[in-house]
Amino acid sequence: MTAPARPRLNLNDAHDSFLVERAADGDVASFEAIARRYGPLMRGYARRLTGSAADADDAVQETLLQAWNQLGDLQDGAAVKPWLMRICGRKSIDLIRKRRPVDDLDDVEPPDPAPGPERAVEQGSQMQSLVAALRKLPDEQRQCWVLKEMGGQSYEDIAETLEISTDSVRGRLSRARTTLMKEMEDWR
Amino acid sequence: MSNDIPDPGCGHSLDELEEYLRTGQSTAEQHYERCPECQAGLAGLRALHRLTGELAAADTEQAGSADEPWLQSILGNLRLEMRSGRSIPLSGEDPEDSFAQTEGSLVALIRSTGDDVAGATIGKCRLHGNITEPGGEVRIEVNVTAFFGYPLPAMVESLRTRIADTVRTQTELNLTDVDVSVTDVHERVGGDPRGEVNE
Repeated sequence: MTAPARPRLNLNDAHDSFLVERAADGDVASFEAIARRYGPLMRGYARRLTGSAADADDAVQETLLQAWNQLGDLQDGAAVKPWLMRICGRKSIDLIRKRRPVDDLDDVEPPDPAPGPERAVEQGSQMQSLVAALRKLPDEQRQCWVLKEMGGQSYEDIAETLEISTDSVRGRLSRARTTLMKEMEDWR
Repeated sequence: MSNDIPDPGCGHSLDELEEYLRTGQSTAEQHYERCPECQAGLAGLRALHRLTGELAAADTEQAGSADEPWLQSILGNLRLEMRSGRSIPLSGEDPEDSFAQTEGSLVALIRSTGDDVAGATIGKCRLHGNITEPGGEVRIEVNVTAFFGYPLPAMVESLRTRIADTVRTQTELNLTDVDVSVTDVHERVGGDPRGEVNE
């Protein structure tokens, strides 16, 4: 099924809730518009979580497949972005679990972001420092931090994803925050 | 704020400050406003949040454009999985032959027809009825998003007529009704949806 000609509406301009309604009804073109809108966001997030470009693409594909099959369950189409990020976080963690026995996460850190020229001097170096500080965190703390602060997930979502209690989530986040703040003292 | 311990040295913890930043309220609010250590702690937390947000944005940028092959490849893999809906029988000249069209293709056709009506874009489109039976009755339900500035009664009538024509021409289903609901009137995200139309 291909997208029919739509002289009056470019799907890339349509609201999320509109695209979700159409996609839930089986419209592939609308679903692909959603995928294009949030694909890079999910890919960057999954790379940060898994530390692997290949795993990240697998996570995005599995996220989109689950999204396609469960889109009808999404009550509020306008909430599709956090909904996708939640699924993507879970798929990424699942892939890390599968891979953990053989690979070392720190060996496959994705390339660090190249900052634009205007912010390269000051903010770029701070960002590099944050990347380095995140890398030094224990896996369990880093995952919590990225899920919360970069994925925008709630304590409850993180607890469910990592299969730990919300108290454990709070504790890990607190320790991660303390370490990162300590490190940041040195950058400033 | 101590150089070694990020907790402010005034008895309040970094976790408390984080909670204050998150919720915007605290019983110790007046203390936070006066205490230099807490102010420094709050400034540090804000900087960390800002930097984390910048890193997330850089990650997205680094991930590349949606038009690149990586996403096309993923979508290509998924297309196989995407369902095409129920099967609607069509009769052939020879009764031994078996022809059918998919629900997905008919819905796409109805959408395309509806989208051609000025100012209208079809949202939800459902085929109600036992469409898998030859000559089965079908009621069509469509939701339409109208761009601001188009007269609705004329738009709805045009939609009903054109969709009915399409279904009667392209299928052997027994069309009972076309229900059109205007569910939204809005402007397009990317600019003036009315184009050359004046108010």
